[in-house]
Amino acid sequence: MAEAAPLSREEFQQLCDYLYRRTGMVFTETKRYYVERRVHDRMAATSSPTFSSYFGRLRANAQTELEHFINAFTVNETYFYREDDQLACLTKDLLVERTRAKKPGASIRIWSAPCSTGEEPYSIGMWLLENWPRVDDYDIEILGSDIDTQVLAHAQAGIFGKRALMRLSPYLVAKYFSPLQDDQWKILDELRDSVRFSSVNLVEPNDTRRHGQFDVIFCRNVLIYFDDTSRRIAAENLYENLLPGGFICLGHTESMSRISPLFEVRRFSDAIVYQRPAGGEGHG
Amino acid sequence: MDNLKTILIVDDASLVRLYYRSILEPAGFRIEEALNGVEALEKLQSAAVDLLIVDINMPLMDGLTMLETLRQMALPIAATPALITSTESADKDFAAARAAGANYYLVKPVDRDSLLEVAAMLCGAPQ
Amino acid sequence: MAARAAADLEGAEAALSRALRTETDLRVREAMLTGLARIGTPVAVESLLSMLRSDSAALRTGALDALQMLRSLGAVTSQLLRDADPDVRILSCELARSLPAPEASSLLCEMLAGEQSANVCASAIDVLAEVGGPEALGTLADCARRFRDTPFLLFAINAVSDRINVKSASTRG
Repeated sequence: MAEAAPLSREEFQQLCDYLYRRTGMVFTETKRYYVERRVHDRMAATSSPTFSSYFGRLRANAQTELEHFINAFTVNETYFYREDDQLACLTKDLLVERTRAKKPGASIRIWSAPCSTGEEPYSIGMWLLENWPRVDDYDIEILGSDIDTQVLAHAQAGIFGKRALMRLSPYLVAKYFSPLQDDQWKILDELRDSVRFSSVNLVEPNDTRRHGQFDVIFCRNVLIYFDDTSRRIAAENLYENLLPGGFICLGHTESMSRISPLFEVRRFSDAIVYQRPAGGEGHG
Repeated sequence: MDNLKTILIVDDASLVRLYYRSILEPAGFRIEEALNGVEALEKLQSAAVDLLIVDINMPLMDGLTMLETLRQMALPIAATPALITSTESADKDFAAARAAGANYYLVKPVDRDSLLEVAAMLCGAPQ
Repeated sequence: MAARAAADLEGAEAALSRALRTETDLRVREAMLTGLARIGTPVAVESLLSMLRSDSAALRTGALDALQMLRSLGAVTSQLLRDADPDVRILSCELARSLPAPEASSLLCEMLAGEQSANVCASAIDVLAEVGGPEALGTLADCARRFRDTPFLLFAINAVSDRINVKSASTRG
């Protein structure tokens, strides 16, 4: 097959306008090479003979094809301490605010959704143990949820391969994991037991409601792939699941500006997070 | 360190943003863009600007709601000068914009001279 | 919470749309709007359409967002693009964006051919930047002649025509 033609300036502009509008991601001329390469990959994968036909396909199958396209620009692998600037923000800023009005022994509830194979909720637990001096002052509850029960089983088992541990220092690996054969490590029981796992469909309020309200929710790299209606409904559900003043963290390339008007933006030194306005009803 | 004045254009129409950019950038302004009120508030939290040009009708959060929200924030950005643009031209529309905290109002389609004049007036010359 | 429960009951459309007119709490309004979108009956759609004419920018925005969540947009959009109110026509151009490109382009060109309001043209042209094909070029050229004293429209028509011409060239070659 002949090599795909480079994108014209107009085609590139049209595609970037579309991507910006749908996802908030900004692609400029400096990223042309990567965008073009991705377009050519997807044209081949979808058997689209021209950019024009591919663009039509992208518009028509927005959810699935957009996800395929964007995947090249987001880090989809899950591993421990991924996006650790949000973890830093958690202890430096979010929990400081959340605990202002809490007595010692009060609960702090954190939700990781989707949790996939467990790296994220376990990372949160580990980070708190390692970096938060007040970790023993409160009753910390971590919920990990996913719609996929297979990955949940994997998360529950707490066994991980080398790649998942690649961002962890040898000190942390030695402290929180015990080695099994075949380059696998099992997470320490104490850490494993500190996370509860459950199957939850974020778009289904009957599913989300029963888990109560949280101080912090991590909801990374999932909302942006839902269709417009599901996205908005999921955002409403997550709003309900936040205590007034509670925080929600999205993925790096995501923005509430493409999802929902309900949350306030808060900028901290390590991350931009979203907050349910304080005041209004909470359920305790 | 550059002394360029920065303008944040908030409009969901890509061609409108492009048009304003084509006028304001050659005049020496640095341009940022947002396509709805939520994105504008987000961008302002990351970096203050010298002027907002805000359309009224946008998805998720309209321009008036955005401006009202901004003006109520206990942050320096709350005082950012704002030019509202709108297709409407009735007195009640001017009044609503003023009540929301607008500093000026232009009726769309906006022409080059008006845009440059108001931009200069609200945030001073480009550099 | 009550707003979301109401969406599951029959006859909820009227209740929701009545409540929406006076509801100031954003969270409650959001729930009501998605409620109407999910109900999706002709009555619910009617309620949302009537909100497009509201004086409240926030309500117009919410109604448009909710309408875009509906599946059966074609007929509604076509009707709205012929509305007597230019403000409704402006918002309807956005609805056309959700349609397949050929249908959207066709509906927008049909409206554009006779459109006298510069701002309605502007909205249509912005959507044509995404969905327009060679069949739109004639209508765009006519529009440019009609509005030769409106610099923004000339700029926009130029930009879109360039895009369409380039795309046609690459399709042929």
